[in-house]
Amino acid sequence: MGLNRRVWPWWAVLLGLLSLPIVAGYLWLVLSSLSNQMHGLLPTGGWKLQNWRFLWESVGGRPSIWGALSNTLIFAFGVAALEVLISAMTAYAISRLRFPGRGIYLGMILVLHSFPAVSLLIAIFYILRLLGLFDTLIGVILVKAALDIPLGIWVLKGFFDGLSWDMEMAALTDGASRWVIFWRIALPLVRPGLLALGTFALLSAWGEFILPYTLIISNKTWTLSLYLQSLIGAVDLTDYGLLAAVGLFYLLPVVVLFLLGQRYLLDIYGGGSKG
Amino acid sequence: MKGSQVRLEGLSKRFGKVEVLRPLDLEVQPGELVAFLGPSGCGKTTTLLLIAGIYQPSSGGIFFDGKQVNSLHPKDRDIGMVFQSYALYPHLNLFENIAFPLRLKRIAQAEVRRRVDQVAEFLGIAQVLFRRPGQVSGGQQQRAALARALVKEPSLLLLDEPLSNLDARIRLSARSEIRRLQQDLGITSVLVTHDQSEALAMADRVAVFSTGQVQQFATPEELYHRPSNTFVAGFVGDPPMNLLQGTFTEGKFDWDGLTIPVPPGHPGGSGYLGVRPEDIRLGGEIPTRLGIAEPLGREVLLSLDLGEGKTLKVLTPAGTRLAPGASLGLELRGAPLHFFDAEGRRVGS
Amino acid sequence: MRRWSVAALFLLPGSLLIVLFFLLPVVLTLVLSATNLSTTTFSHPSWVGWGNYQELLQARFTPLILKNTLKYVILTLFFNVGMGLLLALITAFLPVRLGDAFRALWLLPRITASVVYVLIWQGLAAVAPYGLLSDLTGNSQNWIQQSPWAVVVLANGVIGASFGMLLFTSAIRAIPSDLLHAAAVDGATTWQSIYRVVLPLLRWPILFVSAYQTLSLLTSFEYILLLTNGGPGFYSTEVWSLSAYHQAFSNYFGNAQFGLGSAMAAVLVVIGVVVSLIYLRVFNFKELLGEPKVEVN
Ligand SMILES: Nc1ncnc2c1ncn2[C@@H]1O[C@H](COP(=O)(O)OP(=O)(O)OP(=O)(O)O)[C@@H](O)[C@H]1O
Ligand SMILES: [Mg+2]
Repeated sequence: MGLNRRVWPWWAVLLGLLSLPIVAGYLWLVLSSLSNQMHGLLPTGGWKLQNWRFLWESVGGRPSIWGALSNTLIFAFGVAALEVLISAMTAYAISRLRFPGRGIYLGMILVLHSFPAVSLLIAIFYILRLLGLFDTLIGVILVKAALDIPLGIWVLKGFFDGLSWDMEMAALTDGASRWVIFWRIALPLVRPGLLALGTFALLSAWGEFILPYTLIISNKTWTLSLYLQSLIGAVDLTDYGLLAAVGLFYLLPVVVLFLLGQRYLLDIYGGGSKG
Repeated sequence: MKGSQVRLEGLSKRFGKVEVLRPLDLEVQPGELVAFLGPSGCGKTTTLLLIAGIYQPSSGGIFFDGKQVNSLHPKDRDIGMVFQSYALYPHLNLFENIAFPLRLKRIAQAEVRRRVDQVAEFLGIAQVLFRRPGQVSGGQQQRAALARALVKEPSLLLLDEPLSNLDARIRLSARSEIRRLQQDLGITSVLVTHDQSEALAMADRVAVFSTGQVQQFATPEELYHRPSNTFVAGFVGDPPMNLLQGTFTEGKFDWDGLTIPVPPGHPGGSGYLGVRPEDIRLGGEIPTRLGIAEPLGREVLLSLDLGEGKTLKVLTPAGTRLAPGASLGLELRGAPLHFFDAEGRRVGS
Repeated sequence: MRRWSVAALFLLPGSLLIVLFFLLPVVLTLVLSATNLSTTTFSHPSWVGWGNYQELLQARFTPLILKNTLKYVILTLFFNVGMGLLLALITAFLPVRLGDAFRALWLLPRITASVVYVLIWQGLAAVAPYGLLSDLTGNSQNWIQQSPWAVVVLANGVIGASFGMLLFTSAIRAIPSDLLHAAAVDGATTWQSIYRVVLPLLRWPILFVSAYQTLSLLTSFEYILLLTNGGPGFYSTEVWSLSAYHQAFSNYFGNAQFGLGSAMAAVLVVIGVVVSLIYLRVFNFKELLGEPKVEVN
């Protein structure tokens, strides 16, 4: 920007003040998870390792957190893999193949992209029951992937549009079918897009709450969000340390992934669909 | 000989409502190198992509060795193609680029190595095989693209302006290299170019295109000596042929008041008289005045003014020093003359 | 024909999921909204026609929910767009790295799992001596219970601000610096150049973000569900989309009213479809759809 840059320290201070509540919130989470009790942002009563007891023992008869963790991992990676693969296949077709109704198909994807999918939850619940996929991880994985696929197609179509046609023609004359070109030429070349979408999908599935909350019942299939939610409902105020520790445990992988993938992510969130 | 015969029959192409290629008939013999020559946007690439199967013809047929291949997928046509942009795969090194067609055929690794090494050696890119396309020079990219097209020993080689991105000196050597390779391997080839010296130097036969139409399909000598219409006459030859518009009557050609005696075989009425700059001699009786003289190295190109807006181009050996405005006489007798009728079609032999 | 079979292969998995979890649900929502499907009638629902809609029109809570929805959407929207704009403008002034750091910080809440994010709010809003808010104000109360609206709007607003922030940032980056230089040469102060040059150029992004956020706020209820679950008390923060969810999944009377919930959801679905179609018209759709240059599949 060509605006006067000398005033920036004042703006930084202002922005710092505005951002203070966010910093305070995350600071509270970290300190709280380690200390006996919090008074505001001040730990009192010394450090308390017992906050992390959920790592080695069951809390109030709940299944082990490791089960919830592995469910969450399966859920997040399942969603990310499915979403990236299916979005890529569809986006490639829309961007690079000729077929009747191509315009209508893209139009439908655009409409679905801005369409608020949560309003379909009741019907989706009903469909999963009919399919016998209610209360299964695979069912929620399919639903979550499906709801995010329009965004994925939209993002990846932009990447496929940028590929050179000459190169695709060269591959055809080299003896490749479109299917082979997709796997061996097109996919490797849109890698940044796949990484961005993959990271986005991982983060979004990792934190997902409403879908598992509505579509999963049995605590063996719990994800971390359901595990934490069940604790929040049951633990009294004085044991915020336990909740904070579970929350931090749940949050840490996200922060790592976010820092790694931040460069790709800013663009996708700019076109994202969450409230 | 491995090359296949290619025949185009009434082949045409429309994009939407625009007819880019009018119905076209053409035959390429096994082992022959045919050049498509024409100005930009006249449909050369379109024809090539039709032959490759990337575009679908709007009408007409494409035949390889007598078999119709209209609905044959490009991957099954056994062609190698080099693009103007080279179109190498940026994520693969040159070795993997060249090996790509072989890998698709599931050829054993050892054989892939042998064949890639052989063609790379032959084209002089063996030292840079393990670099990515972005890390080698334009000339090396061009060779890699050629190697990729050749490595599977296709029965048809399609070259779309493969030399246009090279600098002038490499272009000359690459020309003869491609020609030698093509002749050694006996691969039927189609070369697209808008550089006439390239087409004339490399091709067995040349198809001259203008706006979606083939104007003449003949050997370079024939194109030069017997252009079949004024478009070809004006397009082939550098500097181009002088085309004079006037009226033919009984052994004479009237060019805006200037009468030129012509041998028999000319058309009657209005038409064109063609004469190449290199066929005109100085020192005759037609009076002219020198406009500009452009030295071209071994020769000088003179623009001669014949009054009333009539000009002629004449090529003379370098060395004669002439001042602008000097009076010069012209001699047309004995020069090969080309006759065209009012529509621009060649008349006589 | 073989030509289309390749395309069909590529499109099959995506189409299957879209049909199963988008198109079918849209139809099913409309169908269910005309039935009395509930826990008790799950195996033998019957048609009630417009019955559910009539019930909604006459229900005692409908005006309250509509009022809540309006309040929630408008207040949050203003916070989202205003804060997003402020963040984008300020970070544009900062050195690049510092600006990026602040943007990342504001993106963090959106990436944090909703349950954890709400947990943090609960921690900060707890009564004294635990909660920071009570500490700072010296006013010990559970702030979520006492000022539910402020918390609901702020919590959603902090999440939503990052969306506008990112879009406005890329819009600001696209402003040719010539324009700003010209303004500076004309003697404009920083504030004047923002007001006269930057803001007018952000008109379309602001409109887009507002429209997009309106639709998503109208239908999202996740954070309200976790923060107040529509309470405290009777429906004090219950909005339309949350109410649809409650009717269908956790009705106060333990009898899940899928039919009635679907009727509420159907209203949102219809709004969603109409607004999305309007977006599509406004978009320059043709430009997105170049013909593939290769004619075989
Ligand atoms: N996919 C297409 N859709 C519409 N028009 C096209 C398409 N491809 C080519 N054309 C048009 O067809 C005409 C011929 O194009 P073509 O690429 O065959 O020309 P060319 O002879 O190869 O020219 P150049 O020497 O510039 O490469 C041009 O006018 C071009 O604009
Ligand atoms: Mg071309």
